[in-house]
Amino acid sequence: MFRLMRNVHLILGLLFFFYAMLFALSSLTIIYRPMLKLRRDSEERTLQVATEKAITPRALALELMQHHEMKGDLRDIKQDGEAIRFVIARPGTQSDVTYWPSTAEAKIKTHREGFLETLVHLHTNHGLWHDFLPANAWSLLSLLGSAGLLLLGVTGIYLWFCHKEERVIGFVILTVGLTYSLTMLVLSRTA
Amino acid sequence: MYDWMKKIHMYAGLLSFMAFVVWGVTGIQAVFLPAPGQWQPPPISSQKEFPFEGGGAVDDKKLAKAIYEAANLTMRGGYYNIRRDEAGHLAFTAFSWNGQRDVTYLEEQRRVRVEFRDAGLGDFLSSMHTGHSRRGPPDLQARLWSYYNEFSTWAFLLMVLSGVYLWVATRPGMRWALILSGATTLLTVFLWVATR
Repeated sequence: MFRLMRNVHLILGLLFFFYAMLFALSSLTIIYRPMLKLRRDSEERTLQVATEKAITPRALALELMQHHEMKGDLRDIKQDGEAIRFVIARPGTQSDVTYWPSTAEAKIKTHREGFLETLVHLHTNHGLWHDFLPANAWSLLSLLGSAGLLLLGVTGIYLWFCHKEERVIGFVILTVGLTYSLTMLVLSRTA
Repeated sequence: MYDWMKKIHMYAGLLSFMAFVVWGVTGIQAVFLPAPGQWQPPPISSQKEFPFEGGGAVDDKKLAKAIYEAANLTMRGGYYNIRRDEAGHLAFTAFSWNGQRDVTYLEEQRRVRVEFRDAGLGDFLSSMHTGHSRRGPPDLQARLWSYYNEFSTWAFLLMVLSGVYLWVATRPGMRWALILSGATTLLTVFLWVATR
């Protein structure tokens, strides 16, 4: 049984190593963001898009994705006077698009985050409703990784308990951790 | 070295166990959250009123701030959407880690009404998982939880790295583990490239 659990623990650890690193590093980025000098590249460009290809914001977004190397979820569609505004976003990259039908001109402002901030976007990426398929894949990975984290915890507890020489000190540490955290959770919930 | 790494891995995991449970539950729940714009607040669970003298000269923004301070809501985390409702009353939404609070100033009665929309346990845990030394409600219990949560983040990073060390130190030639490790690396690189 010990060997089986040890292998299960290792399998889960290897399966979710990158996922775990993603969440650990992105969490630390969120906490220490004010101290980090995070890089963000921005670029602006203007395109001509024929009005028949921009009948609706979705049609325009599709045209930009198919022929102008843009990809992501379409969101925040707004009509601002004559101009149509929307956002095409994926983890780490956001393009703000403004289109004027009278001139058939689309102004695109693209912000591209660096490595750490992209990890934060992947951390906060949720749901399986995305048009952008990789975002759904990251969400699915998040689901599996979260279940994996719980299983890693359970198998870890079992493996600790099998180390007889570590039982007493481990029990003290586990009790202290559980008592402290559960007390704070319950007091916060009932506040 | 091996013995110390094993102890660090074990003790860090035992001490942070509850944080991992909260993160795991939150991560599972997050996958099933509704798309932006489809979220509905929970129903009103309770209501309270208290007297408040607004003073005629202050603007809505300042008045909302004064009401927010006077309401002294527990587990609060800011307020937003300051507006006038259909009856012309100043209203805004206050965020609490225990759920949304709708605040309305009944100016003619000089009273503030707070409607509590208590969140479910899942949403509460989701809020709690975001706490750290620089973020969280001012309430002492939430501050203490936030320190634990931040400590657990470091513990988690340590566990991941020590876990790799323990694997390499004890079973470096294990074939299926190497294959699995290679496969997850390839999958992650593929997903990263597809996303960027």
